Amino acid sequence: MTIPVDLKYTKEHEWVRIEGDVATFGISDHAQEALGDIVFVELPEVGRTVDAGEACAVVESVKAVSDMYAPVAGEVIEVNEALESSPEQVNTNPYGTGWIAKVKMSGDTAELLSDDEYNTFLEE
Amino acid sequence: MSDVGANKLAKTSLHEEHIRLDGKMVPFAGFDMPVQYSAGALKEYHVVRDDGAGLFDISHMGQVRVTGADSLKFLQYVTTNDVSKVVDGQVQYSGLLNTEGTFIDDITTYRISGNEYYLCINAANRHKDVAHLQEKAAHFDVAVADESDDTTLLALQGAKAQSMLQPLVDTDLESIGYYKFAQVHVNRKTAIISRTGYTGEDGFEIYIPNSIAVEVWRQLLAGGAGPIGLAARDMLRTEMGYALYGHEISAAVTPVEAKLMWITRLEKGDFIGRNAVIARKAEGPKKRLIALKLTGRGIPREHYKVYVDGKESGEITSGMHSPMAGGVALAYVKPEHAESGELSVVIRNKHVPAERTTTPFVRSNVRR
Repeated sequence: MTIPVDLKYTKEHEWVRIEGDVATFGISDHAQEALGDIVFVELPEVGRTVDAGEACAVVESVKAVSDMYAPVAGEVIEVNEALESSPEQVNTNPYGTGWIAKVKMSGDTAELLSDDEYNTFLEE
Repeated sequence: MSDVGANKLAKTSLHEEHIRLDGKMVPFAGFDMPVQYSAGALKEYHVVRDDGAGLFDISHMGQVRVTGADSLKFLQYVTTNDVSKVVDGQVQYSGLLNTEGTFIDDITTYRISGNEYYLCINAANRHKDVAHLQEKAAHFDVAVADESDDTTLLALQGAKAQSMLQPLVDTDLESIGYYKFAQVHVNRKTAIISRTGYTGEDGFEIYIPNSIAVEVWRQLLAGGAGPIGLAARDMLRTEMGYALYGHEISAAVTPVEAKLMWITRLEKGDFIGRNAVIARKAEGPKKRLIALKLTGRGIPREHYKVYVDGKESGEITSGMHSPMAGGVALAYVKPEHAESGELSVVIRNKHVPAERTTTPFVRSNVRR
């Protein structure tokens, strides 16, 4: 299981990449492994405004339906439409081609965990 | 397999093998069973569907032996299908009904001889079934023995099942036809092997004593079979549209609703539930089972509501994302909606359009 050092994390097992005022997010390696084979992703609508912690996407594995929560507040500016035809990328490349959406941030990122903090959280 | 008390989960003889193979263990019908192994449910599904063979531990299921001069008479009375049509070495799919005509269980009946039959029953219904059968047996010259604790049941399913199983068996498997069985020797121990299954692929169900469970399991894996967990098993059976107790079949439905009149032979004479089924047939089913396919995006899942022409009509009993057929499901709807009306499935408060289809949802490869 990998936890890249250049990303931020949430306790709901999302990762976030901050570039300027844009946050790209997906689910962590730990989360994809726990969910098992992902067979469907429901993406948020572009243009939608989300609060931090608001359910904004759905990831479905063979057996389970899981809500995904926006890690930061802002406006959804782009979604990974490739996941509609190949949702398995969330399993095979969770931090890369398995990204879910990009948000133009309106709030802060103080609540996010560092890689070390996320690792500690997983061990608890 | 052995029960170990009300609160603890029972373990099959292969429990340690599942742990060794990194099985993700979950409670299922009172047993601690693997929902998937390290390969994951989708890969396991493909092992069975695409040209390989998958090995399933289904020892949680129960086995009951019926012996005695009245065996046929007894089984004609307690099961729905016509047991007089079954010959030695043949397997028959059937049901156990209560006097209301609803299902106690669905079962398979193996005819060993005219006065010896072997029943395979669902794990969750085992104690209920055995109590029911033993109570009814009091009026017949039969003995009903629950052999579940002594028996390991494996399923080997897929195109390569026969070639992988043959080296372990002293009988030519080619001689066993679909829904036929033979009493054979596996590693010199007496076993029953039937050409049956729950996947829509060619394959076998293998009843062996617990004492050789681990060695046979390991031999079949060494021969190239892949271990398959409950998640892939459910995908495979749902794609075939096979009914599952607790989903399509339950104490809330009769064979009239469950589309199982083909195993309910009213003309054979009296049996438990017959009068109630005749009455239900006359008044018409309360709901009807349909097969549907989403035309919009999404995965139809159990308990999701089904609407017809904008009004709630019923709900999904089994649903899945089929790698070949997409979002497919079995659902009960109001009788008047079984054939016509615009279908939709409610997924997270949104109506996703669907259309009626037929089962199996993907091609069956069983050897007829």
